[in-house]
Amino acid sequence: MNKKHLLLALLIIAVSGVLAACGASPTTEPAPAVQQEPTQQEPAAKEEAPAEPTEAPTEAPVVVEPAEATPAVDESAAAKAGELQGGVTVTSDEDVTTLRTHYGGEYRDVSTSDAVSFHPYQTTDTASSGYQGMVYTGALLRLDEKTLDYIPNMAESYSISDDGLTFTFNLRKDMKWSDGEPITAQDFQWTYDQVIKPENEFPYLSQLDFITSYKALDDYTLEIKIDEIYAPALGQMSGLITPLPKHIWENLDWSDPEKNPEINSPSVVSGPYKLREWKRDQYVIFDANDNYWYKGRPNIDSQILEIVPDSDIAYQKMKSGESDTGVITPENLEEARHLDNVTVYEWWPAAAIWTYIGLNMREGFATHDINVRHAINYAIDKQTLTDEVMLGQGKRLCSIYPETSWVYNPDVPCYEYNPDKAIELFQEAGYTYQDGKMLDKDGQQLTLKFIYGPNTSKTAELIAVTVQDYLRKVGVEANIEALEWASFLDATNAVEPTWDMYIGSWRATIEPHIMYTIWAEENIPELNSVAYINKDMEALFKEAGKTYDTEFRKEKYQEIQKIIADDSPYVFLYYRKAWSGQNNRIKGIEPTALGIGWNQEDWYIEEQP
Amino acid sequence: MTRYIIRRGIQSFFLIWISTLIAFTIYQAAPGGPIQFLDDDPKSTTADVDRLKLAYGLNRSIPVQYLTWLTGEDWLPKNETWRSGRCMAEPDRCGKGVLRLDFGRSFYFKGQPAIDVITERIPATFTLALASLILSVVGGVPLGVYAAIRRGRLPDHIIRVSTVLVNTVPHWWLGLLLLIILGGYLGLVPLSGMYTVGDGSLLDRLHHLILPATVGAIGGWIGFSRILRFEMLEVLNQDYVRTARAKGLTEKAVVWRHVLRNAIMPFVTGLSGIFLLALSGSVLFETVFSWPGMGRLFITAVNARDFPVMMALFVIGSFLGILGVLMVDILYSIVDPRVRYDITK
Repeated sequence: MNKKHLLLALLIIAVSGVLAACGASPTTEPAPAVQQEPTQQEPAAKEEAPAEPTEAPTEAPVVVEPAEATPAVDESAAAKAGELQGGVTVTSDEDVTTLRTHYGGEYRDVSTSDAVSFHPYQTTDTASSGYQGMVYTGALLRLDEKTLDYIPNMAESYSISDDGLTFTFNLRKDMKWSDGEPITAQDFQWTYDQVIKPENEFPYLSQLDFITSYKALDDYTLEIKIDEIYAPALGQMSGLITPLPKHIWENLDWSDPEKNPEINSPSVVSGPYKLREWKRDQYVIFDANDNYWYKGRPNIDSQILEIVPDSDIAYQKMKSGESDTGVITPENLEEARHLDNVTVYEWWPAAAIWTYIGLNMREGFATHDINVRHAINYAIDKQTLTDEVMLGQGKRLCSIYPETSWVYNPDVPCYEYNPDKAIELFQEAGYTYQDGKMLDKDGQQLTLKFIYGPNTSKTAELIAVTVQDYLRKVGVEANIEALEWASFLDATNAVEPTWDMYIGSWRATIEPHIMYTIWAEENIPELNSVAYINKDMEALFKEAGKTYDTEFRKEKYQEIQKIIADDSPYVFLYYRKAWSGQNNRIKGIEPTALGIGWNQEDWYIEEQP
Repeated sequence: MTRYIIRRGIQSFFLIWISTLIAFTIYQAAPGGPIQFLDDDPKSTTADVDRLKLAYGLNRSIPVQYLTWLTGEDWLPKNETWRSGRCMAEPDRCGKGVLRLDFGRSFYFKGQPAIDVITERIPATFTLALASLILSVVGGVPLGVYAAIRRGRLPDHIIRVSTVLVNTVPHWWLGLLLLIILGGYLGLVPLSGMYTVGDGSLLDRLHHLILPATVGAIGGWIGFSRILRFEMLEVLNQDYVRTARAKGLTEKAVVWRHVLRNAIMPFVTGLSGIFLLALSGSVLFETVFSWPGMGRLFITAVNARDFPVMMALFVIGSFLGILGVLMVDILYSIVDPRVRYDITK
C-alpha cells in the first residue's frame, strides 16, 4: 500500500507540475490579453516616457486602448521644446482656484491588469503608474492639450538662464497635501535626494544623469542645473520628480513595504484622488481629494477600478452597463460604435504606436545589402497591408516620425508597391530570378528567417503571413517563426541573432530627440536590434539635441528622417489610431492628441433618464 | 497511524526538495528573466540593468542562487559572488532561506514577502476549488449511480455521450461562453469578481460563485460519474447484492446502502487528484472569471519571471498535493475498515 501511495504521490506531483506548466503556456495568452495597449496616460514619474516599446507584453500589438484614464495634468509624453530659448521667463495666467461644479457620482472603471505598487520609484508597468497618477501629482509643467507646448502647471512660472543651463521653477503657493500641509520645493528636493541613491533601486536612474544639481532655494523655488544644453531638458525635468510628502516619508523606510505602509496604501497624497481601499487582483477604490491643488476636487466623487483580466469580459461589462468603460479590441470596435449606451471616442494620438519590420543589417545577412532592403520594401504593398490588418484604424507610415509629429518630413522615399522594381533590385544585389525563384550565387533560393512575438498576437501573425505572400511573389521565401514573448525578446536582443526580419512596434514621442536611442550605435543590440550604424545620422541627432532653436532642430530631424528612410533599416508599416468607449452618462470628455484622460477631473456624471 | 504519518512526512520532505531542485533549474533555464523588460525600455540603460541585477542578486551563478534560496545568504561570505546587493547593503534584508521558512521577497511585487503575496490569494482559490468539488460530487455521484442502474438503456447512453461531448471542449472556453451568454446577454450572473464591490454579503458571494463553481465542476461530473458507473456495475454483480435483493430489500436500499458504499472506494482515491486538478485548472478559470486567486498569481509570476513567488507557489503546491494524498489515506481507513496502516510494523 505504501509503495503504491508513494508512487501516487509522485505521480500527482508530477502531474500537478506538468499541469501547472501547461497552465502557464495557454495562459500566457490571457496575460498578453493584458495586451491592451495600455493607457496612454503616464503619470509624472514616467512622464517623459520616450518610445515605450509597444513590444512589451502589456502592450503587445493585438489590441488597443482600454479606457483607463488617469489625471491629465500629470500627463505628457515629452517636450516639444516649443519656442524655448535661453534667458526666458514664462508665467502662467491660468486660474487654478475656481472650483468645478458638477460634483457627485461614481465612475466604474475596468482594467485587465492590476498595479504592483503605489511607490512611484519602483515600478515600470503602466497599471502602477495609472494608480500612482491618481494619488500623486508632480508635473511642474504640463503639455498644453491643443498646442502640445509645455505650459506652467505646479510651477506658476519658470525661467531659464541666458546660458540655457539653469532652470528656475517657482511653485504655486497654495498647493496642499491631502492632510493640509503645504506642498513645497523641499518635498521635491527631498524626493530627488532619495531617488538618486543607487541603493534605492530606481529602475530609470540613468534618466537623471543629465541633471547636475537639483535644489530647493526656498520653500517655493526650485533650481535645476544641467551641464550642457540638452534640447529635451525642460520637458524631461518638468515631470521627472513626483514629490512624496517629506513630513510623512522622512522617518519611513524607502523601499520595504513591510516597514513603510505608505508604499502600498498612501495616506497623504497630492493627486486628485485619495486611496480608499485596494484589494489586489480584485479592485481599487479612490475618493476625491478635497485638497487637490488644480481647481479643487475632481467632479466625480469616487472611482472604482475592477480588475478583469479577460479582455472579452471587460468589453461585456461595458456593454451590459456593469462598468462605465471597457476594453474594445479592433474586432469589437465596429459593434461598440453601435452600442446604445456607449460612446466611442476616437483620436490620433501624438504619441502614436507605430509598427515596422526590422531588417538585420549585420554582415553575413542578405539584408546587409541596401539593395535587398530596398527590394523588400518595394515588394510589400504596405498600403494594402495597413488596410487589411488595421481595418481602417491605422495610417501608412514612411518615416521614423508619424504625421502627428511636429518634425514630420513628408518628403521621404515611401517605396510604393512595385514588384518589378523589387526583382530588379534583387538582381542588382547579385541574385538571379529564375522560374519564379530568387536564386543566390550558389543557386539556392533566397530564404529569410522572419520572427514575431508574442505568438498569440493575431495582428503580428496577419502581418507575417501577408508579408510572406508578397515576398513569395518576387521569389523570396520567408520562414515565419512565432515566438513566446520572452524568447522573442531574447532573439531580437541577441548579440549574434539568427533572424533576417522581425516585427516590432514603438511608441512615438512628442519630443523627437528621445527616439535617438533606438538608432544609436551604442544601443545595439537591445534598442537598436537591427544593428543600424550611420555616423552622419548620429551626428545630426547630436547637433539637434544641443540647441533650443526649434527651427534648426526641425531641419535636422527632417534630414535624419530622409537618411533613415533611404537606408531602410526598417520597413515602416503604419501607426495606430486610439479609441476608448465610455458610457453615455459620463460627460465632459474631450479627446485630443494627448488622449482622453487629460481632463479626467472635469468629467462628470449625468444620470440617463 | 502516527508512525505511518511520520514516515510519510520524511519521504515527502525529500520528495519536495528534489522537485524544487528540478523546478528551479527549469525556471532558470526559461528564456528571459525578472528584469528583461528593461532591455527594450528606452528609458533604461545597461547601467540600470546591471545595478538592478546586482541588487536582486541575479548576477550570481544559478547554483549559488539556489543555495541562497534554500538556506539563506546571511551565513555566506560577504561578497557579491555569494550575497545579493540588498543583503550586502543592509544585513536585515538578507534572505533566510526556505529551510527557515523564508520564501524571499517578490521581485515583481517590489519587495513584498513572497509568502504574503500567496497567502493573500489562497482563500479565493480554495473557495472556488471547494465549491467545484462539492458540486462535482453532488452532480457526479447521482449521475454515475443512475447510469449504472439503467445500464444499456437510454439514460445511460445520454449520460455517457453527453459527458464525452462536454469534455471535448476546453472548460475555460465553455466558461467564457456561458459567462458571455448568461452574464452579458441575459444578465443572470455577474460578469466578474468574487463579490460586488461594496456589498460582499453571503448571497452576493454565492451569486458570483455559482457559475465558476459549476464550470469547474464539469470535469468532476465526467470523471466521477464514469468511475462510479464502472465500480457500481462491478459491485452490482456481486453475490451479496443478489442476497440483499433476495432478502426482499427495496431496490433503493440495495443501491444506496450496499452497492454505493462498496463502489465508492476508488472514487475516494480520485478525490485528492480532482482537488489538485481543480487547483491547477484555476490557472485558466481564474482569468476568465476575474477570480483573485493563486492561478492568476501564477501566470503573473511566470510572465514576470518572479522566481521567489514561482518557487514558493511550487513548494506550497507540492505540499498541498502530498497533504491531499495523506488525507485520502486517512479517509480510506474510515470508509474501508480493512485498510489500516500501522497494523504490525
